[in-house]
Amino acid sequence: MEKVLFIDLTERKVWSEEKGELFKKFLGGSGVAINLLHELCPEKEDPFSPENPIIFAVGPLLGVYPSCTKTIAMFKSPLTGNLGESHAGGRFGTALRCAGYGAVVIKGVSAEPVYLDIYDNDKVLFKRAASFLGLPPRRIIDYLKREDVLGLESVIATGLASEKFVAFAGVIVDKHFYFGRLGLGTIFGAKNLKAIRITSDGKIPIKNVDEYKILYDEIYEKIVKTDAMAKYHNLGTPQNVHSLNEIRGLPTRNFLSGYFEEAETISGEYFADNILLRKMPCSHCPIGCKHVALVKEQFAAQHELEVLELPYDYEPIYSLGSNLGVSDTVGVLKLISTCDLYGLDAMITGNLLAWVTEAFMRNLVTEKETLGLKPKWGYYETYIKMIENIVKMPNSFYASLAMGKVPVKEGESFYMTIGGNGVAGYHTGLAQVLGTAIGARHSHVSNAGYSLDQKYLGKELPPEEIVDTLITEEQKRCILESCGVCLFARRVYDLELISKALNPLGWNYSADELREIGKEIYRLKFKFKFREGFQFETLHIPERFFETPSANGLISKKKFFKALNYAAKRIKELAEIPVVEKK
Amino acid sequence: MPIKIRVDHPDRCMGCYNCVFACSRELYGVISKRFSAIQVHDSKTSNTFLIRVCVGCTDPDCANACPYEALKPRPEGGVELVNPDKCKKCEDRPCIPACPVNALPWDPINKKPIICTECGECAKYCPHEVIFYGEVIEATPSPI
Ligand code: SF4
Ligand code: SF4
Ligand code: SF4
Repeated sequence: MEKVLFIDLTERKVWSEEKGELFKKFLGGSGVAINLLHELCPEKEDPFSPENPIIFAVGPLLGVYPSCTKTIAMFKSPLTGNLGESHAGGRFGTALRCAGYGAVVIKGVSAEPVYLDIYDNDKVLFKRAASFLGLPPRRIIDYLKREDVLGLESVIATGLASEKFVAFAGVIVDKHFYFGRLGLGTIFGAKNLKAIRITSDGKIPIKNVDEYKILYDEIYEKIVKTDAMAKYHNLGTPQNVHSLNEIRGLPTRNFLSGYFEEAETISGEYFADNILLRKMPCSHCPIGCKHVALVKEQFAAQHELEVLELPYDYEPIYSLGSNLGVSDTVGVLKLISTCDLYGLDAMITGNLLAWVTEAFMRNLVTEKETLGLKPKWGYYETYIKMIENIVKMPNSFYASLAMGKVPVKEGESFYMTIGGNGVAGYHTGLAQVLGTAIGARHSHVSNAGYSLDQKYLGKELPPEEIVDTLITEEQKRCILESCGVCLFARRVYDLELISKALNPLGWNYSADELREIGKEIYRLKFKFKFREGFQFETLHIPERFFETPSANGLISKKKFFKALNYAAKRIKELAEIPVVEKK
Repeated sequence: MPIKIRVDHPDRCMGCYNCVFACSRELYGVISKRFSAIQVHDSKTSNTFLIRVCVGCTDPDCANACPYEALKPRPEGGVELVNPDKCKKCEDRPCIPACPVNALPWDPINKKPIICTECGECAKYCPHEVIFYGEVIEATPSPI
């Protein structure tokens, strides 16, 4: 796993390098990726430049233990201008590991649309992808998948949004998983890279099989027989719809409210009871948190049916459902699948549509800009057309949205992004807003502020304590990301267990040593952000957060900025001082 | 009555490969799709799967196809590689295409067929109870 595969699209060259020391020091995943990013991405480089590398990295537990499935992608983000980091499951990581690659680095730009066909032993074929232009990513995946291949195969693909350089284009993985965030698909587009297929006939070796099997059983039992992951298996992440609505933390109509009175028909319970078809897992995960709905629509008389299998998750249900006032079950599914059709990050797409709707209602945006479309809460058909316009950019208004920017200055106070990234579906309180603001990738899962808000519902924590807790949590998560653990399995895999699980694989680290490595990875992420010009002082925090009561009541702006200032000071210090290396 | 595995509910399968990796773990002590006696294939257009694994025939075509009698039918169904020396690692490997369910993969490194040992590990780790392991009356798969 200590091999890094390098692919130069400009020169069409492929080589590999053994990086044993790097993996020993940083395990894999985000730890290895952030080091490669520092090394390979020139300072202040244009994200669209051929020099901006795409890095995929996997970790030592990935593919070996249940629910360890996540590949980390790193690049300079076209959306935020600094750290681009996106995580995806599916089979991609396991395929990389079977093929013996710990990381893959893609540099340069191809002269023509290309897809990469990767095999074991550094075999990489550059294949023409002109025929795939304009096609939906899922269809490309179908074309590239081969039936009856004996090896482990995984396909990831981009759509039209990537070809058009929409700043928040994503990459779809094995049809049901996503490198959704921060514009990885955009960088694929800038490199003229349409898709990657990896096929491995190889194997992941286990050093001490007997010891491994005993521990495997312990972990497997915890995952399938305790309630540690029951939520994800049963209703999946959409369970959040009702639970957040109950505490008034479900963002509704562009965060104008934390309560959606029509939430019932877009709730996890409703989906599961009425249109759930099946659950889809990453490889080697018994959970299967991805839920797929079955929709049958009659398209002509005499029972002519179109049968649609449409996946759903909590975040797009919030961003394209409650946050747009859409309660039509099939309507939400169609909005999600429209994003998938073009390969867009569904979360920020929803944030943009919500902003347009409110700006339109306030006359900041008119039909002249929207090209005759009249956005209105709940009317999903209009939103489907708008998504199409965002991708196709028929005028400067839509072109601005496609860059993830709102074209009206007065409207920025209700454009729900932080640090350039669309915010997640939790109006739970101060910790969530703060967590997104101080998270290295401005994602709710960076440090789970929403979870802190819910744990201490109704109780006030001192701002410094919130900041310290969030930082410690993010540092710990750096280890999970570096080992390949799915964050949904975080209740099972604590640092003690990770330390134990590494043992039969021949990696010996105590939980404390892991904690130190986590701190160093965290430090390097921020070091990269600051290097690229990130500043806490100019961070965009929408006023709306302080206007609409959250699950914990109105968020005090004063307290928030006090906490943010404290965090900024602490993180700047942390970014400067290297953590003492124990290994 | 023989103790065997049988794919009873293929339509419950979600393609997690837990069974595949349980098998490679048991047979080879590794994680691999290629080195497993059970194969799970995606269907292209719908989210369903085809599971290929030895169905435990009592008159196995793979054994009949081997000119060297390296594969011996087991009384309870299926085959075993009686004497690895008997397997000539032949170039044309007639045993592989002889299996009508295409359930006999070739091990390209050790140059021998990968044979299901009816150990039941795949059934044990399938989270959806797709695979049954226990006493089976006859070696036929379920009608679906
Ligand atoms: S819980 Fe979901 S995302 Fe995590 S490994 Fe399992 S199927 Fe993949
Ligand atoms: S019974 Fe054992 S050998 Fe046969 S497919 Fe299942 S795990 Fe593999
Ligand atoms: S373990 Fe069960 S659900 Fe998973 S792939 Fe195998 S048969 Fe299908």
